[in-house]
Amino acid sequence: MIKALGYFIAIIKGSLITTRHFMVNMWFHTLKLFRIKTKRKGAVTIQYPEEKRKIASRHRSLHRLLKREDGKPRCVACMLCVTVCPSECIFVEAAEDPDPEVQKVPSIFIIDLSRCCFCGFCVEACPEDAIRMDTGQIEFAEYSRDKLIYDLEKLMG
Amino acid sequence: MAKILIDERECDVAEGTTILKAAESAGLQIPHLCYHKAFMPEGSCRMCLVEIEGLPKLELACSTQVRDGMKVSTKSESVIEARKGVLECLLADHPIDCPICDKAGECKLQDYYEEYGLFESEFNEEKEKRQKKIEIGKNLLHDQERCVLCRRCVRFLDEVTKTRELGVFQRGVHAEVATYDGILVDNNYSGNLAELCPVGAITDKDFRFKTRTWFLQSRESICTLCSRGCNIYVESHQGFSRFSLPKRVYRIQTRENQMINGFWICDKGRYDYSYLDQERLDKIVVNNSEDPQSWQEITSIVAGEIGRLFHMKRSSHIGLILQSWLSNEELFLIDKIFRNDINIGKISFLDPPEESSDDFLLTAERTPNRRGAKEIGFDLQPADWEKFLEDVDLLFVFASPIKGDTDFSPLKAALDKIEKTVLFASHNHEINSLFDMVLPMSLIAEKGGSLTNIVGSVQGFSPALDAPGNCKPAWQFLVDLAKKLMINFDFYNQFSSPESIREVMKKEIPYFREEHE
Amino acid sequence: MSEWIIILIKIICALVWFLVIALYLTWVERKESAVIQDRIGANRANIWKFRAIGLFQPFADAIKMIFKEDFTPKFSRKFLHNLAPFISFFFVAVTISAIPFGDVLRIGGREIKLQVVDFNVSLLFVMAMLSLGIFGIILAGWSSNNRYTLLGGMRGAAQLISYEVALGLSLIGLILVYPSLKLSAIVHYQGEMLWGWLPKWGVFLQPLGLLIFFFAALAETKRVPFDLPEGENEIVGFFTEYSGLKWGLFMFTDFMEVLIVACLLTTLFFGGWQVPWLYADGFHFPWGGEWLLPHGIVVAFQVLAFNLKVFFFCWLQILIRWTYPRFRYDQVMDLGWKLLVPLSLVNIAGTAILLSLIG
Repeated sequence: MIKALGYFIAIIKGSLITTRHFMVNMWFHTLKLFRIKTKRKGAVTIQYPEEKRKIASRHRSLHRLLKREDGKPRCVACMLCVTVCPSECIFVEAAEDPDPEVQKVPSIFIIDLSRCCFCGFCVEACPEDAIRMDTGQIEFAEYSRDKLIYDLEKLMG
Repeated sequence: MAKILIDERECDVAEGTTILKAAESAGLQIPHLCYHKAFMPEGSCRMCLVEIEGLPKLELACSTQVRDGMKVSTKSESVIEARKGVLECLLADHPIDCPICDKAGECKLQDYYEEYGLFESEFNEEKEKRQKKIEIGKNLLHDQERCVLCRRCVRFLDEVTKTRELGVFQRGVHAEVATYDGILVDNNYSGNLAELCPVGAITDKDFRFKTRTWFLQSRESICTLCSRGCNIYVESHQGFSRFSLPKRVYRIQTRENQMINGFWICDKGRYDYSYLDQERLDKIVVNNSEDPQSWQEITSIVAGEIGRLFHMKRSSHIGLILQSWLSNEELFLIDKIFRNDINIGKISFLDPPEESSDDFLLTAERTPNRRGAKEIGFDLQPADWEKFLEDVDLLFVFASPIKGDTDFSPLKAALDKIEKTVLFASHNHEINSLFDMVLPMSLIAEKGGSLTNIVGSVQGFSPALDAPGNCKPAWQFLVDLAKKLMINFDFYNQFSSPESIREVMKKEIPYFREEHE
Repeated sequence: MSEWIIILIKIICALVWFLVIALYLTWVERKESAVIQDRIGANRANIWKFRAIGLFQPFADAIKMIFKEDFTPKFSRKFLHNLAPFISFFFVAVTISAIPFGDVLRIGGREIKLQVVDFNVSLLFVMAMLSLGIFGIILAGWSSNNRYTLLGGMRGAAQLISYEVALGLSLIGLILVYPSLKLSAIVHYQGEMLWGWLPKWGVFLQPLGLLIFFFAALAETKRVPFDLPEGENEIVGFFTEYSGLKWGLFMFTDFMEVLIVACLLTTLFFGGWQVPWLYADGFHFPWGGEWLLPHGIVVAFQVLAFNLKVFFFCWLQILIRWTYPRFRYDQVMDLGWKLLVPLSLVNIAGTAILLSLIG
């Protein structure tokens, strides 16, 4: 019986917490409705398309392929990203480069973003620092899957 | 016999054996770059240093012979330290361009660094710049920076082919492998150099940048491009789940077999593998239409045709043209079904013409199993085709026409007149359209069985690749057909695999009973 | 004739009030939960970019619901499947007719009771209608011909029937105190004063009864924490096979039940339309003050008071719904049969003893 009473008190406490939240937030909402500026806001919501949150510096966003000074891709088609990719969404085909210091360049570099899980393993694996996920772009939704297959040109920006 | 202790492990080896060989027989691996079983020890890479009790300095395992009671340590502190030192010196001048090196993944230097190195280099000096892309052979490229001067390539050309196209020039840090006056390595065994090179200094043009070695699946097979029957590994790419690849097979590597090919294969066997993927026939074609047909229906139709002629006592009007691309088991089944059971009488071989052989591995016969056909009892002499094709009502042709190899012209004219013609083929060929039925067959690399090579060795093989599309091994079709024909059903019903056929074959044909492997 | 017109107008007014408030309860629920959880809540529905803090949301929801596919499973009993949501809806909607919104409005010498029908047994009527609502649930669960919906329906029926017992018993004490089954009479009784200053509201005379009634009524609305019939993460509930408008009807019925429970709480325990110390001619304060008001204003005060009380209880119910997690099935049954039913019996006995002592 005493145990049950304890539960009952806990229940009341719980509803007091929600009531407090309601009252405090409602107070600030009301003030806002009357255009009174306050430091605190009634809600922590970020109104997404209009307001945007700052992307953290280590956030993994859309991939990009880095370029050499002469504009060629830094990638040497070593296929370590292909090897390490857990969702098998990268495809690379190598080609011969006339420069004997470079030798190997990608002729095809495809990332199927509809399959990518943004784990960042490709960035970790890359020995040439040729692929990064630091563009800060997170809005690349498309209406068709084909458009999510990014090729060399698109990835080099 | 000498009794020695290697890492506390006792082993008995013959007097005169090297420590390295003794260790390998005891199951211990000693790292080595320049040493190769096929050549005399060179002792230039210094990777195989071991400690021998009682000797003040470390000794080379590859060239030191065992003495009775010798105590060798391959894992002592000084050995580990020495290996690290050797690796550090090798890597002091070896470029770390593994991302663009085709050898990466199977490179010995890479493996040994992972296993015995893992140090931070203390060399601050710039690495020596050398030429990175020199053509040294019609299939070979040389990267002087990567070379560790093990001289395996030079020794191969000195000892095996005796053509001596390569040599080591200059001295000290300037030493480099090169050709004499730019004369390219051009012999039928040059491809072995790329495989022989422990690092990526000599690479294969054919494999260059095609894929990475760790994607390849290596499966045992037998080369079928001549009647030598060299042992090979077929290295194929399993493909990616979402991206298709243009081909399956990326390269052919040698497989050691001292009785037949030693450590080597010829360039024909190494580079002419495109037939495994190109122009493959993978659908059943009936009257030049590819309407889906099942093997079951086709087997019934063929069995019906044979049965009709057989019951009309016209089985002598059935013709059968063979090529020695068939395995022993398949030839045995053909012999049983068509000669014994149906007794058709008209069987002949239409093999591609002989080409020039060399005096090492490549033979003149360009089909793998002529010897097997002979031992089973077929007459290999080409028939008088006009006479052969006269009053034939039903013609079977087992052909594996690799483009342009076989001359089908004697058949062409007669094919129209024959009532029903059936071709068993593995490739698309202009001749295919002249047949009423074209049935896709698996290649040797895609099925199991055995082959008899030119000197009579019988070698078993198992599938190295999956059969594409609707292809079927010939033995499977023959067994199904025989069962459909209902002649001697119990005999054919026991065959479920090439091995089961071989067992029966061994009982019936004395040649296969003996061990020829 | 004019009697009929008045009845018709009363019905329409009561229904419109009922449905509009229930409709906006969906919005209130979303907004209140948002405010409790430090969010903003639905605020995007707009007409010509005019958002009005999401007030158009219920209409957007309704439009969406109407245009969704009305799916009837092939294996269901079609007629009953279609009938079930309407049964649920009807028996809740009809309850509003017994609720008194205010006292008597006098216009042009005519006395209009601000109540659709003033039964002699309106309390029983309300209880009866609420019980009949169970049919909707059972039919929905059974006619869908799906194991999970049947299970949900069975759970729903078991829960509602169990709590109906406690609900009925908790009201007997109330009937002992206010000797009538007529809701309007009960409200009138609550206008009297205890010791001259405390209104004789049910909350003061029957505190235990109120508690039991409140718990039982919450269970009757079958919302969280008593939402076992739905139990999304366990059995997915009795209306799994419903979609579109029919599903919307079920959901809407839930909100109507919330409103009805609020109305009943107000009417039975919080003096209905009574405002403390407000009499037919104005305020008479216990400390001797007076504030006389015209009849129209008094009626307006009464209706306003009723509405405010109802809104408060709606708010409270939504607060509870967004505070507590769901009970386990055995806990629900324990609470119903082992706590609320014995307590209500104790309440009846106590009330009876006390009344007989007072005489």
